[in-house]
Amino acid sequence: MNRSKRWWWQVIIVIGLLTVMGILINNLAVNLIRTGLGLSFDWLWRPAGFALSEHPLPYQSSDSTAWALLMGWLNSLRVIFAGIVLATLLGVSTGAARRSLNPLLRQIAALYVGFIRQIPLLLQLLFWYFVAFLGLPSEPFAPLGAVIHLSNQGISLLGVTLSVEFAAVLLGLSVFTGASIAEVVRGGLDSVPRGQWEAFRSLGMTEGLGLRRIVLPQALPAILPALSSQYLNLAKNSTLAIAVGYADLYAVSDTTITQTGRAIEGFLLLLLSFLLLNLLINGGMQLLNRAVLRSQHHH
Amino acid sequence: MANQFKARQQHYRRWQQKPIEAAFSVLILSLILWAVWSTGSWLIAGADWRVVTHNLPLYAFGSYPADQRWRPLVWMAALLLLTITTLSGDHLPQPLKRLQPFLPWAWILMVPAGVVLLAGSANLQAVPSRAWGGLTLTLLLTTASGFLALPMGIGLAIGRTSNLGLVAMLCRIYIDLMRAVPLIAVLFFGQLLLPLFLPVEIEINRVLRAVMAFALFAAAYVAEDVRGGLQSIPRTQAEAAAALGLNASLTMRLVILPQAMRIAVPALTNQAIGLLQNTSLMAILGLIELLGISRSLLANPEYIGRHLEVYVWLAGVYWLLCSGMALLAKRIERQGRLSTSS
Repeated sequence: MNRSKRWWWQVIIVIGLLTVMGILINNLAVNLIRTGLGLSFDWLWRPAGFALSEHPLPYQSSDSTAWALLMGWLNSLRVIFAGIVLATLLGVSTGAARRSLNPLLRQIAALYVGFIRQIPLLLQLLFWYFVAFLGLPSEPFAPLGAVIHLSNQGISLLGVTLSVEFAAVLLGLSVFTGASIAEVVRGGLDSVPRGQWEAFRSLGMTEGLGLRRIVLPQALPAILPALSSQYLNLAKNSTLAIAVGYADLYAVSDTTITQTGRAIEGFLLLLLSFLLLNLLINGGMQLLNRAVLRSQHHH
Repeated sequence: MANQFKARQQHYRRWQQKPIEAAFSVLILSLILWAVWSTGSWLIAGADWRVVTHNLPLYAFGSYPADQRWRPLVWMAALLLLTITTLSGDHLPQPLKRLQPFLPWAWILMVPAGVVLLAGSANLQAVPSRAWGGLTLTLLLTTASGFLALPMGIGLAIGRTSNLGLVAMLCRIYIDLMRAVPLIAVLFFGQLLLPLFLPVEIEINRVLRAVMAFALFAAAYVAEDVRGGLQSIPRTQAEAAAALGLNASLTMRLVILPQAMRIAVPALTNQAIGLLQNTSLMAILGLIELLGISRSLLANPEYIGRHLEVYVWLAGVYWLLCSGMALLAKRIERQGRLSTSS
């Protein structure tokens, strides 16, 4: 295509897009005037009027809606970061197990990955909540001595008390994402030449040591980009927490929208929050990526 | 024989050298046996399967009128038949083999056929979309949004890699934005906010709104997979096509895209399976698809506390559907390879 033709195409596309957007926004304006709603964010500073089952900072229903949304934010962050840690541990050990010398371990890991990835996450979350955690006895019992106390009222781990909802979301997200991370790790391990494995084995290194010191560091550049997209998936999937009644960002936004009727404004805030969360995770992963690359150049 | 014996001997020696690993393996094995045993005895003796067996029509059709249930049944049977025909490929009997070139068209026609069958037309009694449900709705949501998302995604991918700077930027913004937000937010938009952007007199039903939201969301992911395919085609292909005198759009249609799609098939399969699993999110937003109908059954006092039975049953159904889709994709992949080599 020559330059002027290209220029004209772009002008036509812009005009077409602007027209469509104009029509949509005009419709929105007509609808908002018709329903008498208009567009405003005053409601953020009015009392929320609903209780939250869980809030990391002091909160009561007479506090402002903005404060309630912040609690939702913090609840989301809590479960996302705990989930990232747990899913990474699970995923890396499963991915490594799929390349271990022990055939039993390999089989179990393959079974776990194959099974979990074929079942919808929402169904798994419902299972963890309604069957695994609400199915616990109401009297606390301690299967591992003082380390952990379990009951259907909550889980107490080393003195830290977690709600059943939090535990269900955390475990559901971690087990689901762990299976995907395991695939990422396996792919990364496979990208390391076989000679490296043979080399450390012939040096008499144990499997664990060789994996940690020889293979994983070389696999890391291949693993990290895919890993960060799994972390983003985990963050986005954490919104399914609403199905088990965990007061995360989406659940609180949903309640706010039902209470105030401010669907457009509430939705915009939700979108902004998620763009921010994406930037946060992407930024963190980029720092990690750069650190890894730098440390490898030093060697 | 001797080799085998030697290998086994070595194997035993390895176990003797690693007593901890051997003990660990025995422990794991006994745990697995215990898990299999207790699961098996629960499945046979402990579980009360009435919540499943008494409600099979609900799981299949939702609250579709009982005397009209043959319509979703016909559609699902056709879907199954088409799947089997596609899967059996070369093993088809001779007369059926001649129909093979029409298979893609049959697949494309499945969605409109399903909508007409379910909604009703001139001779069929009209059934409102709120009565659609169960497996029928799950399959309809998946196929309809999948077939919509595919061309949209291809368009976005071509747009993003095009040399029109503005178009590339717009496509990129759309793709990145969609991939940054959670699906449930997009579905929420489709159910509650989409009507606000439409003129008052236009009303779209909830199923169609869900399909649109799913398609808009999935298109962004399809676009990235197709882009991966597009970028893996060497430049020389485009140059060769240009040397043959093909213009840009013919080059894309005849040379680049077919090769790119073949490379993208495995990734697209994962998207399709993900889409099927994600239709379960509509249970949160009030559609009675497979998971939604199960949630309303569990709310029935008659089936109180039967969560595990229902979830195990649903997991089985979803597992079967996803495995079927994976098989289909393998078949398509192989056909793609065959047509390249011939």
